[in-house]
Amino acid sequence: MFGYIMPEKPELKIKEFDIYRAYYCGVCKSIGKRHGQIKRMTLTYDAAFLALLLGSVLNIKTTLTKERCIVHPLKKSFVSHNEIIDYSSDINIILAYNNMKDKWKDDKSKVALAGIAAFKRAYKKLDMEYPKKCAIINQRLSELSILEKEKCNSIDAAAEPFAKLMEEVLDYEKLDHKTRQILRWMGYNIGKWIYLVDAFDDMEDDIKNSSYNPFLTQFNYKGQDLKVFKNDIKSQAEFTVLYCLQEASKAFELLSLKENKGILENILYIGMLSKTDKILCQRSCGKGEKSI
Amino acid sequence: MKNPYEVLGISEGASEEEIKKAYREQVKKYHPDQYQDNPLSKLAEEKLREVNEAYEYLTGKGHTAKTSNGWSGRSGASGASGFGGAAGGNAGGDNFRQIRMYINTGNIAAAESLLETIQNRNAEWFYLRGLIFMKKGWYNEAVMNIRQAVNMDPSNYEYRDALNRINMNNNMYRGNAVNRGYGAGPSFCDMCTCLWCSDSLCECCGGDLISCC
Repeated sequence: MFGYIMPEKPELKIKEFDIYRAYYCGVCKSIGKRHGQIKRMTLTYDAAFLALLLGSVLNIKTTLTKERCIVHPLKKSFVSHNEIIDYSSDINIILAYNNMKDKWKDDKSKVALAGIAAFKRAYKKLDMEYPKKCAIINQRLSELSILEKEKCNSIDAAAEPFAKLMEEVLDYEKLDHKTRQILRWMGYNIGKWIYLVDAFDDMEDDIKNSSYNPFLTQFNYKGQDLKVFKNDIKSQAEFTVLYCLQEASKAFELLSLKENKGILENILYIGMLSKTDKILCQRSCGKGEKSI
Repeated sequence: MKNPYEVLGISEGASEEEIKKAYREQVKKYHPDQYQDNPLSKLAEEKLREVNEAYEYLTGKGHTAKTSNGWSGRSGASGASGFGGAAGGNAGGDNFRQIRMYINTGNIAAAESLLETIQNRNAEWFYLRGLIFMKKGWYNEAVMNIRQAVNMDPSNYEYRDALNRINMNNNMYRGNAVNRGYGAGPSFCDMCTCLWCSDSLCECCGGDLISCC
């Protein structure tokens, strides 16, 4: 479910790319420092986006330092550190832990079980620090699993819990009411987009494993050729996911940001759209997944 | 008052032409029509007021675009007011008016529960249900309901207008991306094909561009 929020690299300026990387590495290092090195494995692009967005809302000036890293020991790369990056790393761990719990519940995967054991202590600490957020995230995920068990036949209803979860993730308590309102609407729509794009992407696997998928239930999949089915529902699916992006970007425009605006616009207007197109059109280039 | 140059997103000392251009862009961006079905419409209105004030301050002109209440017959903050006429004669009339009030003031929960109590499920019922879904962020359900309203009462301008407006919205997002350079360059597939063709041509002439194939 995670890792869809990416910039469109070819359209970034080189300095923007450096800053994006610095935030990404910053979140990674912050996870290592605050929660333990092994947990850096769970880093997602979404956490980097969260740090960039909230950092910009709080108007935190970006500072870059050159540091070494375990993954690339030979070269120094730019890293950025600030309170928001630490916050994003906390959120990243909360989501990763919950994600593993889900995996364990759904497919009884041993890897997930090992992960839960490794993350338990870190999560307990975060649960003390953000009790309200953790409780809501937990509640949304259990709502989601109930809907999935009931084979909910509306894509809107199925996407609701995850949308509400992201609403909580983007909401930063130290901000004023108006800004939080905007961020919540942005989070809601980004969450909905993630859930639906992910569901569209997973249709093939879900048919294979006979797992639940909102598109298959809402549009009555009856075992026909998946390519034909996808083509039939594509325009309706596209309408909904693009509407989410459009609403998220409208909320974003109300924030009037200065810091790192170009990168955020790149992600919201180009990166996420291109991701959508790749998944809905299934271009012949395969998944087109390249790391940043 | 905020710094007017910052509000318009231009550097201090911008020329009159630049100010005008920035102002036009901002008005387009925060226009009530853009935020009609959006729960943040009040904030967009505020934004537009700021933009207008900034422009007035910088140009000393007092006749900028009107906010919220002067837009071509539609009141800015609403997606549904001003068209109460359709509901007048039927049983759901008063309730429908009340529901429209709730939608306009952003009390979506109240609008929803009142709507569920109405037995008379005519075109307007579906239209209002669509508007409520829109505000909740349930876009797929919203379109299905509004389309149902249009099918039940094809001559109603309000329902058709809402459907068109919602469909237009998506094109705008895509247009915005294209303006930023999305999809302009050759796609990865094009490049592959290009390379492969060049390689084949080279090989025809005895050379080789890509040694592995």
